[in-house]
Amino acid sequence: MNVYAQDTLKVDSVVSSNRGGVDNILLGNVAGLRVKSWSGTPSVQSTLNLRGLSLDPTDRSTMPLILVDGVPMIASPSDVTGINPLNYYSADQIERIEVIKQIDLLSAYGVQAPNGAINIIMKEGKQGAIHVNGNAFAGANFLPNMDHGKDAFYDFNTMARRDVYGNGGVVNEQNVMVDGAGDFGSYLFGLSNYQDKGYIKDSGFSRQSLFLNAKYNITKKFSAHFYNNLSLANRNGRYAGEFSRELLLPVVNDEGFVMDKNRNVGLLSFMGLTYQFNPAFKAVSTASLSYEAASRDMYLPSTVLDGDIYASSVSAKRQLISLKTYVNYIHKFSDALKMDMSIGNEIRTNDDRITSVNGSRSLENGGSNYVKVVTGYNATQTNAYSDHEIEKIVSFYGTWKWNYKEDLDVNMVLRTDGSSFYQNKWALYPAVGVHYNLKNTLNFPVKVNVAYGKTGILSRPEVYRGQIGGYGDYYGGNELGVGILYPAFQDAKSVGVYQFDAGLSFAVNPALNFSVNYFNKIYKDFTYQRYLPNISGIDYEYETGGSLGLAGVEFNLDGNWIHTRNFSWATNVNLAVYKNKVRELPNDIGNTSLAYLSALTKGDAVTSLVAYEGTQQKVIGNSEAKGFGGVSNTLRYKNISASMTVSYAWGADVAAESFTSTYYADQVNNVFPLKSAETPYYTTSTDATGRTIYQGISNIEKGSFIRLNKAAITYHFGTLLKKAASINDMQLFVRGDNLITLSKYSGINPEENITGVRRRDLIYTGTPLPSSIVLGLKLVL
Amino acid sequence: MNDMKFWKLIPVMLLVVLSGCKDSLTIDLDNRTVAEGYYDSAQKIEQAVIGGYVDLRRALLANYGWLMYGEARTGDLTVAVSYQQAVASQQLMGADRYVKQLTDWGYFYDVIKDANDVLDIVNNANSDVLNTSQRNLYKGEALALKSAAYFYLARIWGSVPSAEKNNFGQLLTNQEAVTLAATFATEAKGLLPWMLINDDGIESAALTAIRFNKTAITSLLVHEQLWIGNAQNAYDALSTTFTAATTDSLSTFGLSLGVDRRTEIPQTPLSESAVSMPLARLNAIYPSGDSRRTSMFNILTDQNKATLKNSNTDGLELLPVREVNLLFAEAAWRSNRLDEAKTYLVRAAAGATEDYTSLTEATFADALLMERRRMLVGTGQRVFDLIRFGKVSTYIPAFTEGDVQQGAAYWPLSAGSLTGNSLSQNSYWSSKN
Repeated sequence: MNVYAQDTLKVDSVVSSNRGGVDNILLGNVAGLRVKSWSGTPSVQSTLNLRGLSLDPTDRSTMPLILVDGVPMIASPSDVTGINPLNYYSADQIERIEVIKQIDLLSAYGVQAPNGAINIIMKEGKQGAIHVNGNAFAGANFLPNMDHGKDAFYDFNTMARRDVYGNGGVVNEQNVMVDGAGDFGSYLFGLSNYQDKGYIKDSGFSRQSLFLNAKYNITKKFSAHFYNNLSLANRNGRYAGEFSRELLLPVVNDEGFVMDKNRNVGLLSFMGLTYQFNPAFKAVSTASLSYEAASRDMYLPSTVLDGDIYASSVSAKRQLISLKTYVNYIHKFSDALKMDMSIGNEIRTNDDRITSVNGSRSLENGGSNYVKVVTGYNATQTNAYSDHEIEKIVSFYGTWKWNYKEDLDVNMVLRTDGSSFYQNKWALYPAVGVHYNLKNTLNFPVKVNVAYGKTGILSRPEVYRGQIGGYGDYYGGNELGVGILYPAFQDAKSVGVYQFDAGLSFAVNPALNFSVNYFNKIYKDFTYQRYLPNISGIDYEYETGGSLGLAGVEFNLDGNWIHTRNFSWATNVNLAVYKNKVRELPNDIGNTSLAYLSALTKGDAVTSLVAYEGTQQKVIGNSEAKGFGGVSNTLRYKNISASMTVSYAWGADVAAESFTSTYYADQVNNVFPLKSAETPYYTTSTDATGRTIYQGISNIEKGSFIRLNKAAITYHFGTLLKKAASINDMQLFVRGDNLITLSKYSGINPEENITGVRRRDLIYTGTPLPSSIVLGLKLVL
Repeated sequence: MNDMKFWKLIPVMLLVVLSGCKDSLTIDLDNRTVAEGYYDSAQKIEQAVIGGYVDLRRALLANYGWLMYGEARTGDLTVAVSYQQAVASQQLMGADRYVKQLTDWGYFYDVIKDANDVLDIVNNANSDVLNTSQRNLYKGEALALKSAAYFYLARIWGSVPSAEKNNFGQLLTNQEAVTLAATFATEAKGLLPWMLINDDGIESAALTAIRFNKTAITSLLVHEQLWIGNAQNAYDALSTTFTAATTDSLSTFGLSLGVDRRTEIPQTPLSESAVSMPLARLNAIYPSGDSRRTSMFNILTDQNKATLKNSNTDGLELLPVREVNLLFAEAAWRSNRLDEAKTYLVRAAAGATEDYTSLTEATFADALLMERRRMLVGTGQRVFDLIRFGKVSTYIPAFTEGDVQQGAAYWPLSAGSLTGNSLSQNSYWSSKN
């Protein structure tokens, strides 16, 4: 499929990050792309949101579709290891990143891209027989002015935790790339090694990858494209707040007690064949495999668990196979009117598998202090689990791009997706967009665009299928009794996402470009559980309904203020202001799985924080920022250049659960006791035995911040080394990450809470974000 | 390279495109249990039937329900749980979460749902999946389970909603609910065998004791007919079913004990540590000389209690064979056959010290009620017997006869039952709110 991006980020032109991951390259650089750096643990994926909205703030359903050269990749972190697949690529491998937001481009991806798409275009070989690129950097992580009292984990094992944090964890990367191009095509291959020890002792992340990007012209008309990236990623952890603090663990030295080894193998491989029949007509077919094997071994020593040992081993394999074939035809009706048409087919198969074993044994039975091997346990002490899930999507699509006199573009898209999940398999996603350049007709350098169309979000697999469960044994344990847990949902379908776009871009002069884009998305037909009356014999069935809205305005300004031989200065400013709201909720919502939204009414933000005050539920804040963006400046004086990226967000509320105001409702006569130093708000939950718990909220504050995210100073040896023929370019740089954060937030990182709530058990709360400074060298031979 | 070679790729590309259309959206689930297409063998359909028994076990065993609805409520038996006292003192509207759970009828309706699902599955099953005897057995068991569930519901809560397709949610009076239950039992009685056959094709007493069989369904039907006042029908059912020729085929019916996915379901419900009878109560019910004092109980004088001798460790008896003569006695007495009734009572009450041959119309009811109390202790029927004999206020002193008229003998409805089904408490329990 041809990819036409709305925004393009040239990776070499922005400050890179010392923290691995494509998400950190994008941070602050794209209008409307929110990259929330919620955790400082290396290899944790930031929350990515590109005009996305979901009913559940804890899941990843707002994540955009991530493509590599137009091929889909498994991009969400594995549930098993949590390692971010966007870490599999070094910034040096990437040519540019295209960000696709507008519906007349997105509809071509159908149910894959309800929340936008990000297409990572990899570098290819450049003209010439051979070039060698090498670069390396090394430096250290540190926590500047660490105030342990502000640490989210302060109330738990404070002294021990202080010992866990240690400055000086190494971060380093080395890359070697060899490339070239000629009539035969082009080639590029390389190796990359990245290591980030973070700042938590005895932990760290490392990644090694091997990659190849080659194009071969089999004939003048027939060419092949091969891409391959194989990564090995490891993360070693220890207890660092990843787990619920309510694990009843005693204070043990420096908390170095939970051993946690995560190992990922990530592969992305594709082969594309292009046959150019004539300049106007070609056929392209691409087969791709995105694969990830993730395994985790964990053990808790007996010194922690009263003589018992806990150990578990989990492995998960995810694979995504995609086959795309399309024909592209360009027709000139006249000198003024052109049409670029693609018609294609795509088959996508996901297969996720998981196998896990966990075991525990007691010291009394002769266990050792640490258990490193989980297998071989007494069967009664070991639980094993194995499962897999397959999903297939078959799609047909057509895109028609009409162009009239260079001024007017009309994009039309029609896509149909068939899912193996649904009884009614097919859904249709059309879109149309008009782009008009006023320059020729009005002699005014403004382009305007407007588009409308539809995408969709797939429901989860468990929804449509219904499930039978084993209830228990009967007749001497020989016979299993089964029954329906919930019935198949025959009317299952995707969430419908209707999007309207309008925008204009104004080229004030060749050096100053300003654009503003408005969008309005309406989400319809979410799938949720409807709890049934207790005479039904089953607890719930699924139904669809409800509607949400998300609208926003994105501004982008690119200024090339000064561009002379000795001095240049360029700026990018981007800003997005979003607002989401409830448009419609299901009737009798208290009897559905959306009951947690029952305090909201039409017009309220779906990301509202809701709590009780007295016996009434009310909205106490909004976890989503009102606005966010970034500012980048690049300055060059002769051979020295400096660049920096600042990111900011404002208006998000953070509610902190109190560490002391937690009560069983029955012990306080069902009245939440107010505390003078805390808010009157509380939330309720139910424990495993059915008792109601009141959780007080100690304070609500704004998570607004402005952060100097990335800054670099580079010395270019270019002119000095021209005489040395073997070195084409050399650069020396110093780069810093996360250097200064200005915020009134009382904790360490204003973005540390995924859900906007700092929960008492610290689930969904990240570790402090480290700063780092590295020294690096780039060489082009 | 010759360009023409490209054309060799066309069939490959066509194959790729066409394979996208055909079958590619159907996934065979090799490791999942989903409803559609699951019931493709007699064994799997049997699993669904057993699912109904497991749910009946949950309904009766969760929180020792069968005793809380029965002998624990009258104080005849004591269960060593925190909520025993609340139940024995008729404090059924309290905040205790176990008592609240006991007021919820969810598991009984689970049984009805399971049974209706089985009936659908059996009706849709082809003849190559089920043979006639399997079809009759599973259908009969499903009907029997459904009948038992409605009968328990009506006896515990009085009037209850229907969960049948044709009138789902409609509130049935007590009489209507039990009449409905009797309809299912009557149909089941024609389908169920005396003895069940195990996987090896051999009649199995162990299997018959934990699945509905001809004895059990007949007892159930007779109970239901006695409840709704059809004594003559009850008598007819008994006398045509239990004849000299069938004496050897009789089997007790009870709940098989085993592992439940819901771990709160006790696996040894009548264990001596949990269930006992206060010694004073034992002495009052079983006078000295009654042989059942020692045949049915371990008397622990030092602990001032007696525990039940659990002769059947595999199951919990609900409709024991020993009840058949008691049912005969009741049906005969209620259909004006006092002499015959006395004969059956004497036959039933082996070990009693009383002389039942001299009973009169006026004294028979009390004697029969007492023998039922003695012989059926632990089966959970005591409160139902008191209601049927009109003796609730006599044996539950917390209630006046007026309270009983207002519905005190029945359990209050849970919050979920009230709101989910637009119901209201009966006048007794609403006055206690």
